[in-house]
Amino acid sequence: MKNIKALIFTLTMLLASVSTQAQSQKKGEETVQIKTSAVCDMCKKTIEKAMAYEKGVISSNLDVKSQMLTVVYNGKKTNTDNIRKAVNATGYDADDKPAQERAYNRLDDCCKKEAGIH
Amino acid sequence: MLPNRIYIIFKAAALLLLLCMAAPAFSQHLHGQVVDPQHTPIVGANVIWQGTTTGAVTDGNGNFGLSYADATTASIVVSFIGYRPDTISVAGKELITVVLQPATNIKEVVVEGQLQRLSAISPANSQLITNRDLEKSACCNLAESFETNASVEVSTTDAISGAKQIQMLGLDGAYTLLTTDNIPTLRGLATPYRLNYLSGTFIESIDIIKGMGSVLNGYESISGQVNVKLKDPDKTERLYLNLYGNSRAKFDANLNLSAQVTPKWSTVLMLHTDHLGNRVDRNNDGFMDLSLGTQYNVYNKWKYEHKDVMSEFGVNALQETRLGGQMEYEKREPEGPNQHFGTESGTDRISFYNKSSYTFPGKPYQSIGLITSAAHHKFNSLFGRRNYSGEQNSTTARLIFQSVIGHTGHTYKAGLSYTHDDYSERLSDTSFARTEQVPGAFLEYVYNNSKNLTVVAGSRVDLHNMYGTVFTPRLNVKFDATPNTIFRVAAGKGFRVANPLAENTAALVSSRRFVFREALQPEQAWNVGGSFTQYFELGGRPGAFITDYYYTTFQNQVVADMYSTPQLIAFYNLKGRSFSSSFQAELQYEALKGLEVKTAYKYYDVKSTYNGQLEQRPMIPQHRFFVNLGFATPFDKWRADLTTQYFGLMPLASMEQQHNADLSMRNSDQFFVLNGQITRALKRWDIYLGGENLLNYRQPSPILGAGDPFGPNFDASMVWGPITGRIIYAGLRFKIN
Repeated sequence: MKNIKALIFTLTMLLASVSTQAQSQKKGEETVQIKTSAVCDMCKKTIEKAMAYEKGVISSNLDVKSQMLTVVYNGKKTNTDNIRKAVNATGYDADDKPAQERAYNRLDDCCKKEAGIH
Repeated sequence: MLPNRIYIIFKAAALLLLLCMAAPAFSQHLHGQVVDPQHTPIVGANVIWQGTTTGAVTDGNGNFGLSYADATTASIVVSFIGYRPDTISVAGKELITVVLQPATNIKEVVVEGQLQRLSAISPANSQLITNRDLEKSACCNLAESFETNASVEVSTTDAISGAKQIQMLGLDGAYTLLTTDNIPTLRGLATPYRLNYLSGTFIESIDIIKGMGSVLNGYESISGQVNVKLKDPDKTERLYLNLYGNSRAKFDANLNLSAQVTPKWSTVLMLHTDHLGNRVDRNNDGFMDLSLGTQYNVYNKWKYEHKDVMSEFGVNALQETRLGGQMEYEKREPEGPNQHFGTESGTDRISFYNKSSYTFPGKPYQSIGLITSAAHHKFNSLFGRRNYSGEQNSTTARLIFQSVIGHTGHTYKAGLSYTHDDYSERLSDTSFARTEQVPGAFLEYVYNNSKNLTVVAGSRVDLHNMYGTVFTPRLNVKFDATPNTIFRVAAGKGFRVANPLAENTAALVSSRRFVFREALQPEQAWNVGGSFTQYFELGGRPGAFITDYYYTTFQNQVVADMYSTPQLIAFYNLKGRSFSSSFQAELQYEALKGLEVKTAYKYYDVKSTYNGQLEQRPMIPQHRFFVNLGFATPFDKWRADLTTQYFGLMPLASMEQQHNADLSMRNSDQFFVLNGQITRALKRWDIYLGGENLLNYRQPSPILGAGDPFGPNFDASMVWGPITGRIIYAGLRFKIN
């Protein structure tokens, strides 16, 4: 029993050290969570695609249910303001920053706020 | 210790399982009705549990039923086209009435999407070419837009102009109705070169409808309809620039600018120019492979939107000059013994349209619309020693009223139309002129049982000033056996007045004489067909299988007979049978993540009666094969496309004297064409590199009698394959949204 516990402990420590090492290698990598006005899977596609073309963005994921957008980015190349601005430019609110009006009007009806999360 | 823990976990799990199983016993059903503010039931509205895809569609009385067992939250989302979707809390309720408020502005419903190119909603067999598809092929005219699509064929009309034509169901492009934003356009004399007159950069998407379509757009379509949706002033990019150049030194430049001028007005200005000034003769027949040309094309659209009124204006102006023929040919070369053979043409066109609609307050299903358009088209051309010029002035008006009978399960469109066409043409010393005035009335009824059946029945009556009353009935039925299995049937009649000279411009590039045997009557045909669509999922990736068959039979046709007498093209009314039988099977599947495969096989049997004998129509292969591979990395950062087409043997008409009475014919060769393109997308920039006819296949001696262009055996109209060899091109796109 004790042996097994010890083994698990060792393995966990090993894994943790590897992951901290990995983190220290990708210095400057930061994560931000942004509340958006996205309502559907199509919005998810649109926003994640726009993020993919944004300078400094490493990856992004939008959870439609909670409307939370998680963006992993390189803090040396961009900042949270730029990322929010990019979200606004696709037609969605980002935290307290409202969507660009023109971009919002260009969205499909199903992607507009009044459609409700679906 | 351990066994004890496991026991607790088991107990908890069992309890949880029991709870889950017991849950449906507590749940009840939710029943309700969806109505509009006037308490008219809404049929076909979607009702789903929020956060799920489970739900129901309202029946003929607007009623629906849902089970709480499917719910993840106690809220439902109710939506219907033309109404604002609503989310309603239904906690603890069993019966509910949902009043949907009309959406403030009604937009035409267009089915778009990247994967779903086959509309599951349209009652007609239709395919959509999206903007993303348009970017797959070379720039910059409509002809190239069809190259990655199997339903429409693009062929070269003659060896000198290089003009391209579309074919559907094995029938000439003239039998396909071309509309822009659902307004018939580039009709009549503009038909032969019309694909050059719409730049690919003007286009948002293209809808291809096979077989009989709606009666709303007139009686002309016989084999199908191609609707080009132009860029929308309030939706398109603020700036779009596209530059293109190819290895034959053809250059294209396109610029679109759009602006929201006031909250109610928006506009888009689209500019296109192309130029080819490089004389190339790779097949050494003494003739330029492609004609030289310059085009300037301007399209300006305005859109007004305020409350229930929507209005759109458009004006298009274009100018085009072309020069082709022998390498040494110079413009306006005087006639003489050492004259070179050449072709010249100059085209000026200006057109205008307005589309206005008013939606009744509180009744999004009821609207009235007025569509007007006018066009002036003028050209002057020279083919060797033959001069051919023409002018067409057209005006059209259409008034459409749309409403429901009782509820939205029965809708109808009724209206009046008027078309005025003034034609005048001159070939050498002979003049042709006619004026058509056609008032008409139409009615189209749509039945939708909101589950799986849609019936569109329409008919129109037109009073043609030259040909009397024209009755045009049409029917479209769509039946969804399951949500993924769809059957469609289409039947109906088409009518059109042919323009034999314009439609056979290619034959002018030969020494054939044009002979009119009799007064030509309008063409009339019945078209019956159907399609079967099966959507499927294999290995978690979507696919679709579509097969269709259409049969067109002509009551009258203007026969352009190049078979019976060599060195003549004779025009006469059909005496006997003329038909087209077309079969197509297509498979689309995302074979690997990011790799989409489209394959199609097509069979055509197209015959006409020439001088009493039923013969295959020239230059239509019986068998064709099409394979398109499209690959894209995530977020379309890299895209690659490869299209192969196989063309089977095609019958050809001969110039030589026949030794026996039998109309023995020559055949073309069978060949493959391969096109490919790679695009790299950046945030605002796209860069693309591609090749057309990568296998470098060329029709051997496309020009018969090239050595003696003014002699009796000269014929450059029998073009069945590529004339230019491999073309490599590159370009870039720049966008600001």
